[in-house]
Amino acid sequence: MGLLPLSEPVLLVLLSLAEQPRHGYAILKDVAEMSGGRVVLSTGTLYGALQRLLRQGWIERFEEDESSRDRRAYRLTSKGRRNLQLEIDRMRHLTKLASLRAARKEA
Amino acid sequence: MLRLYRGLLYLYPAAHRREFAQEMAFVFGQAERDAAARKFGPRLLFRIHEVAGLLCGAFLEHLRHAFDGSDCNLFRRIDMHPQFRFPRSTVFLMIFVLLGVVLAIDKADIMARNGVGLSLWGALWSMFLFLAFVCATVGVIWGVLYATGRSGMHRLANVQTWPERH
Repeated sequence: MGLLPLSEPVLLVLLSLAEQPRHGYAILKDVAEMSGGRVVLSTGTLYGALQRLLRQGWIERFEEDESSRDRRAYRLTSKGRRNLQLEIDRMRHLTKLASLRAARKEA
Repeated sequence: MLRLYRGLLYLYPAAHRREFAQEMAFVFGQAERDAAARKFGPRLLFRIHEVAGLLCGAFLEHLRHAFDGSDCNLFRRIDMHPQFRFPRSTVFLMIFVLLGVVLAIDKADIMARNGVGLSLWGALWSMFLFLAFVCATVGVIWGVLYATGRSGMHRLANVQTWPERH
């Protein structure tokens, strides 16, 4: 649980892997696409985040049959998926609360 | 640029390098191929972004090793005190340093491509010129701050270290 609450880049990396396993470069492109070009990760930032997620057991690395050591793919573990869901629930609660409070202020 | 990127990967701790360096270089190569189609400005920004990300990542990895592999607070979101403000000069200084790094990388890249080696005296002379330039710049900045009464000495003199008596 050491990574919660998640920073935006880490959340986007997890969301990218939630859909399907991806290679490093595919994650970079997907994160940029998801954020509309607002979050563009450098390779240094991406692999820093991947290493932390690997160490916490939120994601795992695997080698596809034809892929070399250069093209290892990453996927979410059940622990990672569970924690991602927790974070989504937290954010949902927060936005709901924010909407309620903002509406009350206007009224 | 890829060769230089591989060189910069040596800034990472050995364990991280063994595990990720090859893959990082591969991903960077792919990203650079995409960036090559862009104009000069975006291409330069891409390089600055990559170098900054790599330097920052290497620094954090070394810190993590220093903290015995544990996830210290540095790797989570940092909540800063709202009163804290970086001086505006920090931004200019960081941009200046980053531009220097990128220009040096570009220069070394061109030299490597042309097969030009740098002699020891040439390197020492460049280093001396660089240090002289840095010292002169710092001297000028300090002189301006001193003349306008905003140097560290002036600020320290105005610090109140005991409660005022009424």
